[in-house]
Amino acid sequence: MIKAFGQVSALNGVDLTVGSGDLAALLGPNGAGKTTLVRIIATLTRPDAGRVRVLGYDVAAQPAQVRARIGLTGQYAGLDEELHGRDNLVLIGRLGGLQRRQARQRAAELAGTFGLADAMDRPVRTYSGGMRRRLDLAASLMNHPTLLVLDEPTTGLDPVSRQQLWAALAGLRAHGTTMLLTTQYLEEADRFADVVHVLDRGRIAASGTPAQLKARVGSRVAEIRLTDPADAAGAARALARRLSLPAGEIRTEIGAGRLTLTAHDGPVTLLAAAAALQADGIGVDDLSLRQPSLDEAFLALTGVAA
Amino acid sequence: MAGRQLRVLRMNPGRLIYPLVQPLVLLVLFVSVLGNLAIARQAGGGSYREFLIPGIIIQNAALTAPATGLALLRDAGSGLADRFRSLPMSRAAVLVGRLASDAAILAVQAVLLLGAAELLGFRVRTGLAGLAGVVAVAVTFGLAIATVSAWLALLIEDAETAERVLFFPAIAIAFVSSAFAPVGELAAWMQPIARANPVTAAAGLVRSLASGTPASGQLLQLGCWVTALLLVPGILAVRRWQAPS
Repeated sequence: MIKAFGQVSALNGVDLTVGSGDLAALLGPNGAGKTTLVRIIATLTRPDAGRVRVLGYDVAAQPAQVRARIGLTGQYAGLDEELHGRDNLVLIGRLGGLQRRQARQRAAELAGTFGLADAMDRPVRTYSGGMRRRLDLAASLMNHPTLLVLDEPTTGLDPVSRQQLWAALAGLRAHGTTMLLTTQYLEEADRFADVVHVLDRGRIAASGTPAQLKARVGSRVAEIRLTDPADAAGAARALARRLSLPAGEIRTEIGAGRLTLTAHDGPVTLLAAAAALQADGIGVDDLSLRQPSLDEAFLALTGVAA
Repeated sequence: MAGRQLRVLRMNPGRLIYPLVQPLVLLVLFVSVLGNLAIARQAGGGSYREFLIPGIIIQNAALTAPATGLALLRDAGSGLADRFRSLPMSRAAVLVGRLASDAAILAVQAVLLLGAAELLGFRVRTGLAGLAGVVAVAVTFGLAIATVSAWLALLIEDAETAERVLFFPAIAIAFVSSAFAPVGELAAWMQPIARANPVTAAAGLVRSLASGTPASGQLLQLGCWVTALLLVPGILAVRRWQAPS
């Protein structure tokens, strides 16, 4: 499917399917086209070319049927800030076809699930960011959607709120809800997805299970922070020599005195690096092993910097 | 949807002060300044006060309406609008809901104005039916203007520009009409415009209802205007209620 804005093609030939009960993650940096794709799926915008079928219904020809079966949690909370939490949920429930009593019951049920029971009688504008997202998620679930679409649900949240939202997502997974999630965070895709699609400038660059993609991306990265940034060049040389690495494998951030290299053997590489630097008397402040960043993963999967 | 707007008002009663107090203040100001002018040259005699007050009632409806456009525009750009668009609900629901709650506010304003007008010496001679008629005219006229403002606001898309474009013309329109002076007394170039202006028909109809004189011509004219203004901008506004694509 193709979606163009003026001269720029936001989406160009995207082709993906989500299995029932699965969670598919769409991974990509800002501008990759994730939100555009989500908006098309949620029938908020139309594709310029190509066909999009959601749950068997064409989004352009049968939007009402699609809307009746999906729930959307967008980047901007779909809530009325002035109304109470409960009023929001009941409003959305009723707009989705529930009777008032059913809507109230469902709202109470979801409030309990998402830990918002105490806040139901307060206006949404008094909620914290994390609470808002959780209420947004609850709102998407009011009408028992078959497919839940989440657009960057944890972007902008503090760590605690992120953990809370992840707990909610885990609960939904356990429940068997089919979900499509877009995210910038590799860790989020890794944690929840059955299949990950990497979106790069409007195209799907790679697809696979998290394990498959990680295998393609390669190993973790060793990160070394030197006590004296001036040692950076010397440290790089020492590592290259003692670990028999080509110079290009060691990336140096000279100003910060930080070096990174791919840890092909994981902890073993890390220990070897530590030993190498100690042997040359180069002071080290911090030494760690981490997952590749999205940039690094992107580079490996698409051959282009994110 | 209408309930949603009304509930917000109930939660924030302070917001009711402006829509309810302003019309009364304007009424008192106008009547105090102009009410004793000895201009008695309209059909049926009577004081200028009797001529003026229906004009003020209609003018109030014209002034209240632009707020609808702005509120709708604010809604349109919000995340809430996206959620509404992703639900299986009619695209017209948001506009219709807002108009319904506007109708309630316009009705309350009209009743308050009529009450205050009584105190200022304006009598509706046709009893309860006449009063109901006046309120109905004010409400339907106000809704027609609100629909136009909704369409224009969605067309303009920018909140600040919309504010300027919507409010000033509302004031101008109220003047180029029979609201404050009989059409015959207006400057020659204004007269044709004023005659065509729906404010004239609305004000005239209110005057007829209040004094019991026949009003079928004005009713027809206003009826046509209101229908046209509710349907055409209404349909266009609903069409414009799209996600920014």
